Amino acid sequence: MGHSIGRISEIRLGSGRIPEMMIACPESAVPDAGQYLLAYDRDDPNTVLSIPLFMAEKSNQGFWAASLSPLNWVPGAKLDLIGPLGHGFDLPHNIQRLGLVVLGDTVSRLLPLVHLTTQTITGVTLFTDLSLPILPAALEVYPLASLKDFMDWPDFLALDVPLDNLPQLHAIFGLSNRDILPCPAQVLMTTPMPCVGMAQCGACAVPARRGWKLVCEDGPVFDLNVLQW
Amino acid sequence: MPKHDLSFNPAAMNTAGSLGFYPDSHSLIDWSALGAFVTNPISLTPRTPAHGRRYTPYPGGFLLHTGYPNPGLSHVLRRYAGQWSRSPLPVIVHLLARGTEELVKMVRRLENMEGVSGLEVGMVSEATTDMVVASTQASVGELPVIIQLPMERSLELAGSAIQAGAVAISLAAPRGMLPSQEGKSVQGRLYGPAILPMTLRVVHELTQLSIPVIGAGGIYTRQHVDAMLTAGALAVQLDSCLWCGAGSGILT
Repeated sequence: MGHSIGRISEIRLGSGRIPEMMIACPESAVPDAGQYLLAYDRDDPNTVLSIPLFMAEKSNQGFWAASLSPLNWVPGAKLDLIGPLGHGFDLPHNIQRLGLVVLGDTVSRLLPLVHLTTQTITGVTLFTDLSLPILPAALEVYPLASLKDFMDWPDFLALDVPLDNLPQLHAIFGLSNRDILPCPAQVLMTTPMPCVGMAQCGACAVPARRGWKLVCEDGPVFDLNVLQW
Repeated sequence: MPKHDLSFNPAAMNTAGSLGFYPDSHSLIDWSALGAFVTNPISLTPRTPAHGRRYTPYPGGFLLHTGYPNPGLSHVLRRYAGQWSRSPLPVIVHLLARGTEELVKMVRRLENMEGVSGLEVGMVSEATTDMVVASTQASVGELPVIIQLPMERSLELAGSAIQAGAVAISLAAPRGMLPSQEGKSVQGRLYGPAILPMTLRVVHELTQLSIPVIGAGGIYTRQHVDAMLTAGALAVQLDSCLWCGAGSGILT
């Protein structure tokens, strides 16, 4: 578990009108897609918990970060950084048609997958109801309601799903509880992680086929088949 | 009477539920800054996480409702007893029992276990004086016993616990209620610096009654630690501040 110092060098408005921060930091601190980095501003007296930051886009200085909640940090703020932490996306090498599905508040946490895969796959399609920023030209976008008509198209699905929305997946896929997902899928579960893996406090517990899993420790990216949805 | 007393040097530890089941040498916590390690709450049988909204922030803190999930005492002992015996600091096992029978079973399995230096017994928020006395008497034996009381009722219950044989009182996070976004209300334990004025006053009043108390709740800075100790606390327990950049070294 690495510890480093970073600085907010710029702030922009990302998808879903969620602010994203450019974190200038050592390259070793930059999380992979789906992993998170804990950030803490020790000069901010209002900070009660460390904030998990996800990578939206790599840069020469560090990375553009998307958080799970609005922040009042400002450019110039110095941050204590811990991580990268957690299990990120691990896409097979033979994917040809990648489907991205976003039920959360931003598409930014999945966009690194587009940059990872454009060399090897023939198509990437994003399903979301969010208003979107400028996206890579190769990316086709459809509303969530159309996903059930496209379920035979992708050979791999990557999802960004808030914990509260997990029970909606069957309806969004257009599948009954007994149907099997036609392709492998990995899901980034988003939910507050107050203890950030230090206590197994259970606040981020997600129902699994066998018992339950902790998003902070076992995730935040899971094979969808591991979870109860 | 317990065969050995508890002493804490440094006079600080974590609260039950704040750092897991054993002092993990791979974490960023500076263990030398703590005088003891308190385990997550452990029940006799497994407990699953609470349903519904578990975390609700508010200015200066947050409300947490987790159900204290844990795999049960047998599983915990299989997995962590070895870690306790190799712990760099004294381990206090926090017990969560549904009655004195369960408590007796758990205490018997922990006495004479290498690395276990004491017990902390959590009392439910609706505990009566009789329940506190019975739980304390059921726990006291080979190991020193700390009784963790609901903070809001600690003045009423602390004297009974000490008279029944507890070496000290600790304070559970106070319970609160907040409106949720769905228009309902959520209940849970309160954390964050916003509760410090309440907890500091409780510690002050308990020490005025000569109750040995371990102060907890809302501690986020070195100044907060000093205020608790100045108010007469034997030691302090740190909770969610440990989740902020590993406590940001508030004890060093």
